[in-house]
Amino acid sequence: MAATRRLQKELNDIRQSGLKSFRDIQVDESNILTWQGLIVPDNPPYNKGAFRIEINFPAEYPFKPPKISFKTKIYHPNIDEKGQVCLPIISAENWKPATKTDQVIQALVALVNDPEPEHPLRAELAEEFLKDRKKFTKNAEEFTKKHSEKRPTD
Amino acid sequence: MNSKSETDEASRGNEASSSNSNIAPNFSEGQPTSSLCTSADSNNTQDIMKRAAAKQLIERYFYQLLDGCGNPNCDNQYCASSGEARNLTPNEAAAEAIKLFYKEARLCDSLPNKVPRTEASTCESSASTTCSVTESNEKGDNKDKITDSPMSSSASLHESTSKLGEPETSHNVSLHEESRTVSCHNNGAPLTEERIYQLCDECLQTKMPQPLVRALGEAFTQPAILARCFQSKVVPNSSNEASKTDKESKAMCSSSDPDKDVDSVAGPGLDVASCRRAFQYLAKVPSEYYSSALVTALTTLAESLEIDLRITKKMSMEDAVNCFVIAFEVPDLGCSDYLEIALPALCHAAEHLPVKGQARLARTWALHCRESLRHILETLQQLITLRVISTNYTSHFQVQDDESVTMATKLMKILYYANMLAGVMEPNTLREEPIVIASQLDPLGDVLDHIYQFSSLKNSKHSQPDDPLAVELDLNVLDARKPYLPFEEFYNEPLSDTIEMEVDFANFKTEINSGKKFTFLKYPFILTAASKSLGLYYENRIRMLSERRVSMLHAVVGAAPPMPFLRLKVRRSHIIDDALVELEMVAMERVLDLKKQLVVEFEGEQGVDEGGVSKEFFQLIVEEIFNPDYGMFTQQQDSHTVWFNPTSFETDAQFTLIGIVLGLAIYNNVILAVDFPMVVYRKLMGKKGSFEDLADWNPILYRGLKDMLEYTGDDLEEVYYQTFRICYNDVFGNNIFHDLKKDGDSIFVTQDNKKEFVDLYADFLLNKSVETQFKAFRRGFVMVTDESPLSALFRPEEVETLVCGSKNFDFNELEKSTEYDGGYTAESKTIKDFWSIVHSLSLDDKRKLLEFTTGSDRVPVGGLSYLKLVIARNGPDCDRLPTAHTCFNVLLLPEYDSKEKLQDRLMKAISYSKGFGML
Repeated sequence: MAATRRLQKELNDIRQSGLKSFRDIQVDESNILTWQGLIVPDNPPYNKGAFRIEINFPAEYPFKPPKISFKTKIYHPNIDEKGQVCLPIISAENWKPATKTDQVIQALVALVNDPEPEHPLRAELAEEFLKDRKKFTKNAEEFTKKHSEKRPTD
Repeated sequence: MNSKSETDEASRGNEASSSNSNIAPNFSEGQPTSSLCTSADSNNTQDIMKRAAAKQLIERYFYQLLDGCGNPNCDNQYCASSGEARNLTPNEAAAEAIKLFYKEARLCDSLPNKVPRTEASTCESSASTTCSVTESNEKGDNKDKITDSPMSSSASLHESTSKLGEPETSHNVSLHEESRTVSCHNNGAPLTEERIYQLCDECLQTKMPQPLVRALGEAFTQPAILARCFQSKVVPNSSNEASKTDKESKAMCSSSDPDKDVDSVAGPGLDVASCRRAFQYLAKVPSEYYSSALVTALTTLAESLEIDLRITKKMSMEDAVNCFVIAFEVPDLGCSDYLEIALPALCHAAEHLPVKGQARLARTWALHCRESLRHILETLQQLITLRVISTNYTSHFQVQDDESVTMATKLMKILYYANMLAGVMEPNTLREEPIVIASQLDPLGDVLDHIYQFSSLKNSKHSQPDDPLAVELDLNVLDARKPYLPFEEFYNEPLSDTIEMEVDFANFKTEINSGKKFTFLKYPFILTAASKSLGLYYENRIRMLSERRVSMLHAVVGAAPPMPFLRLKVRRSHIIDDALVELEMVAMERVLDLKKQLVVEFEGEQGVDEGGVSKEFFQLIVEEIFNPDYGMFTQQQDSHTVWFNPTSFETDAQFTLIGIVLGLAIYNNVILAVDFPMVVYRKLMGKKGSFEDLADWNPILYRGLKDMLEYTGDDLEEVYYQTFRICYNDVFGNNIFHDLKKDGDSIFVTQDNKKEFVDLYADFLLNKSVETQFKAFRRGFVMVTDESPLSALFRPEEVETLVCGSKNFDFNELEKSTEYDGGYTAESKTIKDFWSIVHSLSLDDKRKLLEFTTGSDRVPVGGLSYLKLVIARNGPDCDRLPTAHTCFNVLLLPEYDSKEKLQDRLMKAISYSKGFGML
């Protein structure tokens, strides 16, 4: 299957590098434009679970940015109920074709670890995060326990 | 004496010789070469020298045989003086002389006085001899003889030249004359930047404007001098100082004349930047010192330029163009007196520039005067606006007759082209193939064309000539990607509003045939899209009427009368199917019917189509066709535009029909709610899509590709890891791969080929992948519009506004332009309430209101004020809803008691507003 060479290369590179925070990468043989993987955050309150994400590369990749969505529910100011995430590095205005997917994933992991309440997708969570951090952390932890996937063991 | 005999001989030789006509040009060609002694090619010179030497030798033998060397003790057997070779006739002597020449026989040492004598003696005794020699000799020699005799004496050369070479003579005379004019006013040597600085400083110090004024006056009144002002430093004759002597300037003039060709290749010797600096410096001097003098000077300049360009044609084109360039650099050109007196005169003069001169002016402006373009344009606009506003045009004196306006418009055309040249141009290779519709002419129509001249309108459109200046510059508006100044700055609104379009249109029609009357439609850049669309409207109406009349004549002649209208009967529930079937029939059988007025009838409805019903018809059809579910077009998510579905299952015929619908909408003056990206209109007008078109077609992709183009690292290959194989989605989201080149998957994009990659990519997306669909679509469009001046009048951007209206919802403008009927005035309570309600509506509701009253939710070209909304009183207070005549844009409003009731009824009406019926 001749897919875009760039994606094939990036996929191989990521698999070889063995990122700790992004594992279990699954790519459908017939469609290399869709990747799935597990985000494994280090910071509380998300460090109790793992979160499945899907990366959709457009046909015009790398000239158009990929889109990322969360398949696992997450209690996070920058990720909405539908799993959509607002990541500046892959927004249409900021996208640089030279950006590699592993950079995108690192940016995503960083965002999950350290929420940015200044640019929220869920305003009420951002408010809670800013005004009552304890409550937020508690809610997020409970939510994570309830909904998130198991962290891979190794 | 000497010279006279020389000429006599030559001229007689000419008469006698059979190759007379050959020789004369020979002379005139030969002379300047030898006189200048520079450019003659060396081979030729050597040849001439050899011949001259031979000739001289033969002559010496000849005279030696006849007259002898004069030495009484001569022992040469071939010399008359020795007494051994006497009694030869001149003919025999000539023959003998040639033989001796070949034998290299002995020559006596000639006496010093003998050689000149050979020349002088021809006058009396030898003149006839020479002639007979000529006759007896072969032609080649004969020619030599005559050519050489003047050669032998360089002193007599000039005289003989001036008598023989006609063209040279006039050239010389003109040279002399020119140098004479220069010498008369020689204290006005060409101005330089430094000289202006010096004069300005002097003037500021002494408060004496005279020297400055005199210098300006002298330079600016005489084209010949002005053309040499502000010469660039590379040209040697720029270094002339005020102290230049008569002789020097004379030399300069004459030397620069033969250099013409060199000049034109090297570009103008004019240094515009220096000229501009000089004018800036001049502005330091209070303008009252010099401005009236400068105005007078410029006016005189314009007059003499005009005379020269029209009649005497003495100036070189480069000089004339330089004069215009300098004159239009004058910074005060927009101020009162300049504007009213000098500028019209200059425009007038510029009109007489030949096309090549205009092209040169445009190029010079584009190349050297970018910074001044806006100023020149503004000045011209000011002139036109001022004229238009301050003049009362009547039916006897129309704008088209106002020379100040028309001349300025003509000059603006040159500026318009310069503006394009100064901006970003694309190669003219990116053209769509022309589509030729072989109209199916019905035979009777052909006959009628001959007897009925009105229908000959049709034929005239085919021969709409291109603008000669555009041809000369090899320029097309379509190639202008980004003009230096936006095209909108060329619009002149006061003018557009003043023009009586029907008059201009009539002129336009006669212009094509006779070319006498001025018409602004030939200068479409100055007209706003709204006024041009009015012109197009007349064009279309006239065509429709002529179609109607032709079918009446058909009826009179007794042939089967064709329908005067293009009648479509459709079911509301099957609008697309019905319309496509009917239009397909028309397109196949009677293409010409498409040019008739469209009349639509919805089955089971009473609405009579005076425009309103067809408006809704278009609206509904567009809504359905562009629905992505229909599969012919896809939605572009990023740009909210529609695009051809490259993997559509529909046949070409379907796309052709969409093209017809689009054409019909323009033709019938209906606005459609389609959101094509601009590239569609560019392609419709005949320009293929290119990389820059991606910017509004798919902005994100454009940005990504642009990013790659701007990437300068050497590792582009590794970073992008992109090959010439690209991937795109079909409507179902499947990935489809395409090789932009053969074996694209193994060719990587590198710094060297990235431009090629981007161009191929854009070409694939915009042209190749939708080629069949677009071709069919365009074909349909052209079927309706092929004879209309659409493409001559409108740029692609303007066609877009023609099709889908402008996107500006200014209801205040609408309120101002609305008229009232049936008892309402702008002061009526209901009307005041109406507007206060309307202004508070959401954009969506405003859209609905527009759709309700006009049948379209788009804004007409030129804004809402062009809608001509009429609000009519529809009886006193009652429970009826407001109604509308969409074809006339009339809103029927009962005089409701209260504002609340009005609001309630109005909202109900616009919310449930589909369908036509009589109430």
